[in-house]
Amino acid sequence: MAVVELQGVSKTFRDFWLRPTVKALDGLDLSIESGEIFGLLGPNGSGKSTTIKLILGLLSPDAGKVALFSRPPGSAAARKRLGYLPELSYLHSFMTARETLLYYAGLCGLDRATARERTRQLLEMTRLSDVADRQVGGFSKGMARRVALASSLIGKPELLVLDEPTSGLDPVSTDEVKTLVKELAKSGMTILMTSHLLADAQDVCTRFMILNNGRSVAQGAVADLDGSLQDCFLAAVAERRAFSVASFLKA
Amino acid sequence: MGAFFSIVRATALEISCDAFAMLLTLAALALSTFAGALHYHQFGDPTRMAREAGLSAILAGGLVFAIIASVRTVRREIESHTIDMALAHSISRSAFICAKFAGVALAYVVFFLTVCANSITAVRGAAIGAQEAYGGLARVWGPSLALGVATIVMPVVLAAAANRFFRIRFVRCATLLMLAFALASLAYRVDWRLAVLQGAPALALVPSAVFFMAFACVLAGRLRANAATGISFAAAAFSLPVLGAHYLADAAAPQAGGAPWGFIALTYAAASPLVVAVLVVNGRLNTKDGAD
Repeated sequence: MAVVELQGVSKTFRDFWLRPTVKALDGLDLSIESGEIFGLLGPNGSGKSTTIKLILGLLSPDAGKVALFSRPPGSAAARKRLGYLPELSYLHSFMTARETLLYYAGLCGLDRATARERTRQLLEMTRLSDVADRQVGGFSKGMARRVALASSLIGKPELLVLDEPTSGLDPVSTDEVKTLVKELAKSGMTILMTSHLLADAQDVCTRFMILNNGRSVAQGAVADLDGSLQDCFLAAVAERRAFSVASFLKA
Repeated sequence: MGAFFSIVRATALEISCDAFAMLLTLAALALSTFAGALHYHQFGDPTRMAREAGLSAILAGGLVFAIIASVRTVRREIESHTIDMALAHSISRSAFICAKFAGVALAYVVFFLTVCANSITAVRGAAIGAQEAYGGLARVWGPSLALGVATIVMPVVLAAAANRFFRIRFVRCATLLMLAFALASLAYRVDWRLAVLQGAPALALVPSAVFFMAFACVLAGRLRANAATGISFAAAAFSLPVLGAHYLADAAAPQAGGAPWGFIALTYAAASPLVVAVLVVNGRLNTKDGAD
């Protein structure tokens, strides 16, 4: 069964006068099956974040259809089965790590006892138990990332959307996150992740799609690749441009 | 509903940690406390001055609290993108704004109770020569002023000590201690007729604050902070003459020691459809994409 399905999805952002400013997605088709670790890759501005926001129901498409667990992405029943880790760790700075997890447990509709138990488990898992009662506003980027990751897992989602999950993490923590993602997938969780670190994506993902200018330019199973994912990426995103340093220096 | 109440709780927690809310409460406490001391200068009816200063602190302070707290909490969610994390769960954007509104209302209750209780203490201190107008209230001048000052100073000192020695959050601790001191002050030689004289008209001021709370929350959901704050304050300023005429009407005055319950009920009944209308507009506005 397809957990996420996009059919011919287009999205154009408009200004106040409804004039089109950016065509973020152009007829995108995407299907993610249950239990997959799907890598959504592409250069900056290729439409990855827009795709994720459409899947989360934060944006609606201009054309095409988006389905999450065969329902509209805005439906409460579909969203209950979803966990989301954004690219930057958006946290309430006035809350402690424990309060943050309890807040997201509340958003997931967990009862108090379950919320407390899962909070304790996740604080232990992310090695934050010692700083659980410190305000997250004072956390390092890596610690904040671990709080955000724990927040995305507290509802035990069936689909986990990870936007640059290793952003801001040191190599040890990056390795731990990769291992965690693989273990979560083994337990049956479906994972959609974006990453600019193609080696990491190749280690973790089972299938991938490369976006450029809002269109899919390559997709397939990672196991079927002849070379590395990086080579495939560079070949697919052909119109990349080098900075014109020479003309700047000459001027 | 779990998600809704989680946001309500987090919003109330956020405002209780906001130095702006604490400073505004302190300012309102100072106005209501020291206006009670003005009778020393023989300006006129001291009880009435203390009473109206307290009501002004609740009305003006309440409006400022409602508008600024609402705009700050909603814009902070949008600008820090924490709203995206919340909306990825099973709550709609319009329900999120409603939950923020309810959270601000919960924080406003703390502000209202603190300033109202303190103004009752201040009126008790000023009640001299008021036998005819106010039914012979006993004047407790010195202790009332001392209690008012203690309500301002002691919470700050104790919260600082709690922060220094026990790492308890200063602003939240000071805000809750202000409420505790203000309520505890009522226990000293309390005259419950004051609850009617001051408490009942104060209750009539709540709907205007609640309306501007909803108005500012909805605007902040679509406009940037400066625009939402500016429009909300402009609307409040334009409506103040109407509000003033309403609150100073003869029907609003306590009648022979009894509360003007009919007037209070009318105030709530008039404000309710306005609040509902604002929340309906919120539902319509938030069916579209985007934060701004």
